Amino acid sequence: MSASNDAMRASERQSRTIEEQRQTILELQTPVIQVWDGILALPIVGSVDTARSQEMNEALLQKIVDTGAEIVILDITGVPVIDTAVAKHLLETVSASRLLGADVLIVGLSARMAMTLVHLGLDLSGVLTRTTMAKGLQLAFARLGLEVVHRRGAASVSLATDDLEV
Amino acid sequence: MPRVPVIRVGNVLIASVQEDVNDREATDLQDELLQLLERTGAMGVILDVSLLQLIDSFLGRMLREIAVGARLLGAQTVVVGIQPAVAVTLVELGLELTGVRTALDSEKGLRLLHRLMTHTRAGNWSGNERSRKD
Repeated sequence: MSASNDAMRASERQSRTIEEQRQTILELQTPVIQVWDGILALPIVGSVDTARSQEMNEALLQKIVDTGAEIVILDITGVPVIDTAVAKHLLETVSASRLLGADVLIVGLSARMAMTLVHLGLDLSGVLTRTTMAKGLQLAFARLGLEVVHRRGAASVSLATDDLEV
Repeated sequence: MPRVPVIRVGNVLIASVQEDVNDREATDLQDELLQLLERTGAMGVILDVSLLQLIDSFLGRMLREIAVGARLLGAQTVVVGIQPAVAVTLVELGLELTGVRTALDSEKGLRLLHRLMTHTRAGNWSGNERSRKD
C-alpha cells in the first residue's frame, strides 16, 4: 500500500518537474526584443516546429502592435538546420508581419544554409537577408533614416565602472 | 446610401470597412472607390480594416483588386489596421495580399501614402516602390 503510494508520489513529482521544465522552455524560446525605437529582433534558437512557430508569431505580432515597430529582424543564427518546413514557418512569420505593416529581415544565414535553401529550391525571394545581426541592424537603421557615427575619443570611456567610482 | 462611408481628405480617400460588411457591400465599395478616384483624381486610398475580426478569401481578393484598380488609375492604396489574428488567418489561407501595401494604423498609413505619392509625382517609372527612403 505504502509502496504504491510512494510510487504515485514520485511519478507525480516527476510529471510536475516535466511540466515546469516545459513551461521554462516555452518562456525561453520566444523573446521579442526591442533593439531600437521601431526595430524588433527575434533571436530564434533551436529547431522550429509548427507549435513553436505559432507561438513566436503570436508574440511577435502582438509586440508589433504594442510598439508600433516598422522593422523586424529574425535572427536564425541559432537554428541548426533549415528545411522546407522551417522555411515555410519563417515565410509565414514574414507574411503576417508584413500585413501589419512591418518589414522583415532575416539575418544569421550561413553559407551552408544558403546552399541548402538553394538546393531545396527556396530562394526566399522577396525577403531581405543578411549574414549577421550587425548587418541587419545597419540596414534597418538605413531604412529608418538613422545613422550611427563614431565619435573620436569617446571609445576610451569605460562603461562598466563608470558609475561605481563615485 | 452606401454602407461603407468614404471620406475625402485632400487628395486621399479614406474608407473604413465596417465589422459586418457583406460581399455585396464590399463590391459596392470597390465600385464606388474606383469611380471616386476617376472623378476626383485623388492620388491615394486608405482602407481601414481595423474593425474586421475576419477577412475571408472574398474580402482578401477585393482588397487586392482595389489596390490593383487604383494603381491603374494612378493612385496608391494602403490597407491599415489588420488585426494580428486576422493576419495569421490570412497567411494560413495563403492570402498574403502580395502587392498590397499595409501599415499598422491609419496614421502610419497616411505617412506611408504621402511618401508613396511624392514618389509617384516625382515620376518613378520602375514600378518598384519597395524603397522606404524618399
